[in-house]
Amino acid sequence: MRCLESFVHLCAIGMFDNQEINVLTLDTDATNGNLERVRKLVGLYSDIKSGTTKDGGTPNHNTFFSAKLNLYGFYTDYNSTSRSTYRNISKLTEGASSKQNKMLSDLFLDNNSVQEFNLAHGYRAQTHLGSHLMYHGIIEAARNLAAGGDVSNAERDLDEFIQKISKAGEEARVFIFGSVFGGTGASSIPVIPTALSDAMKVRSQGKSPLDVTKVKFGSTLLTEYFSFKKPDQAEMSTKANSVIADSSFFPLNSQAALQFYQGDPTVQNAYKRLYHVGWPLESKSMDKNSPNKTITGGATQKNPCHFVELVCACAAFDFFNADNLKAEGKAEYLFRTGEFENGAFNFKASDLVGNQKNIDERLIDKLGAFLSLAHITLTKNEAGFGNKGFAGLRKQLEQNNIDSYSTVTDKELDQLDEYMRLFGYNFDSSNNFQSGWIYQVRDSLQPGNFIFANAAFSKSIKELKGLDVGKLFEDENYHWEKGGVFSDTYQTFVKSLTKLSLDDSAHLVNHTKEKFIAHLHDGIMASQSNR
Amino acid sequence: MNNYILLPIIGIAMLLIAALISNIIKYEGGANPKDPKKRKVVFWLFFFLNPAVTYAIGLLTSPESGIAKTKHMDSLPIGLAIGVVVYLLVGFVISKVMKNSKVGHWF
Repeated sequence: MRCLESFVHLCAIGMFDNQEINVLTLDTDATNGNLERVRKLVGLYSDIKSGTTKDGGTPNHNTFFSAKLNLYGFYTDYNSTSRSTYRNISKLTEGASSKQNKMLSDLFLDNNSVQEFNLAHGYRAQTHLGSHLMYHGIIEAARNLAAGGDVSNAERDLDEFIQKISKAGEEARVFIFGSVFGGTGASSIPVIPTALSDAMKVRSQGKSPLDVTKVKFGSTLLTEYFSFKKPDQAEMSTKANSVIADSSFFPLNSQAALQFYQGDPTVQNAYKRLYHVGWPLESKSMDKNSPNKTITGGATQKNPCHFVELVCACAAFDFFNADNLKAEGKAEYLFRTGEFENGAFNFKASDLVGNQKNIDERLIDKLGAFLSLAHITLTKNEAGFGNKGFAGLRKQLEQNNIDSYSTVTDKELDQLDEYMRLFGYNFDSSNNFQSGWIYQVRDSLQPGNFIFANAAFSKSIKELKGLDVGKLFEDENYHWEKGGVFSDTYQTFVKSLTKLSLDDSAHLVNHTKEKFIAHLHDGIMASQSNR
Repeated sequence: MNNYILLPIIGIAMLLIAALISNIIKYEGGANPKDPKKRKVVFWLFFFLNPAVTYAIGLLTSPESGIAKTKHMDSLPIGLAIGVVVYLLVGFVISKVMKNSKVGHWF
């Protein structure tokens, strides 16, 4: 889910210009904190793009929030007692073949633990079980849909998503985020192309099958990069918790999974591109806030974002924008490396997206522009300190006799502030610093670097107050000109903002809020061009 | 120099100083930026300073005695009035023409 979070932020900075992207979240744990966080993020993104109706807006060109996102959510329901364990779902003791079913299950799945643990918090690194159940969950939903009657929202969402793929046909590109070492993601990657294809066959009762070989699937092969407390015997004493993922096995899981992905012909034929993503340094501990308990899932599982998740989002960017994807044949395996010196990474934009057609410069410009906007709203206009940042910017425009944005409501401006807090930072009511996405990504890299200077990620109120919003890069060539002896780059930005006239048609913007966002985008871009 | 020329020039010079200071005042962030008010204050401060400064310069440039002094002193209030009007008028026009700039905050 955190890869998706990075992906949404790439959409917000404007990397997926003028595109409509359908997002399906797949989870076993509907209450998962990370799932809730990303759903909230996508919801906020769509609200920001929406005009008077909550339709998620339309794709725009060369502005922030330029891609339109449609969110669908499917989760396998393991909450009722009859569905809480593999044994209960499979009804092993029922039917004429119960003996054979039991023997087959015992052959692959440990009788006392794997068949018995509570599935509500996911597959707990039991990938063999997970693949089986995820496939089952999707096919079961397709059967329900085909039968009509009582269809859940999750099943309806899955149906709509499959219909979108079917409609796109050979043009469809599906990118799957997931790790290969954990539970749900690792279980899903091998079976998703086949499961979606089979679900389509079931759903349409064989009439319009989705030809999986025509749809272009891509995925990340993300190996271990985080750890958590090893579960103790007391935690595993109940049958429901007889299996708890042990992160000390993640490297081993990753190794085994990579061997599988390297050799399995089904996967090789189903996917067009597989991106190797790994973190060779020590895995980051995710349980600092709960040192006495292993968090298996649920609402409390809200882990901070990591740089490798941004790398995964960039892999999706590469996949969606590749103009030389093979239509047929085996999957390509891709990887990049970054500069590693003195025990730390020093990543460049080209390490993430390559440098064809100056795409690395585009990433630098867009990410730099959005980080500048974050500091303009959060720091200069104090949205990070509980004030109203975008309302301040609008007032700035009004004071300079630009009053075309007066119809944007306070609520809409608050949503923009909220998004920037999730992207950048926030001081809570007790004045504690809360890192947003880009701060978390940066923290995960420490002591390494990525494009920006340390000052851009200050957590001290005093330092933030003195921050120059156009001097966030490590490379001074990217700094904005400050425009005068007594000036700073915020002055350059406001001057650019007040001087420019917005070309609505060039941005494909429809409503006032989109125009306001495009105006701020152009103001920052004009300031950048003064560097 | 003739007061009718000198004093309006001084008015313009005062206006340029007001514009310079207004431009030096930084755009502020936050929900209630005070910078436009500060620029307005600067404009009106120089508006009120203008006659005093103009009058002082008029005195300083006055001939020591004779008919020249009488003529100079007679033209001083008129030149001063012209200077004030020029300051106000040109300031207003500049503010409206450059309404999206910092001097746009004067009116």
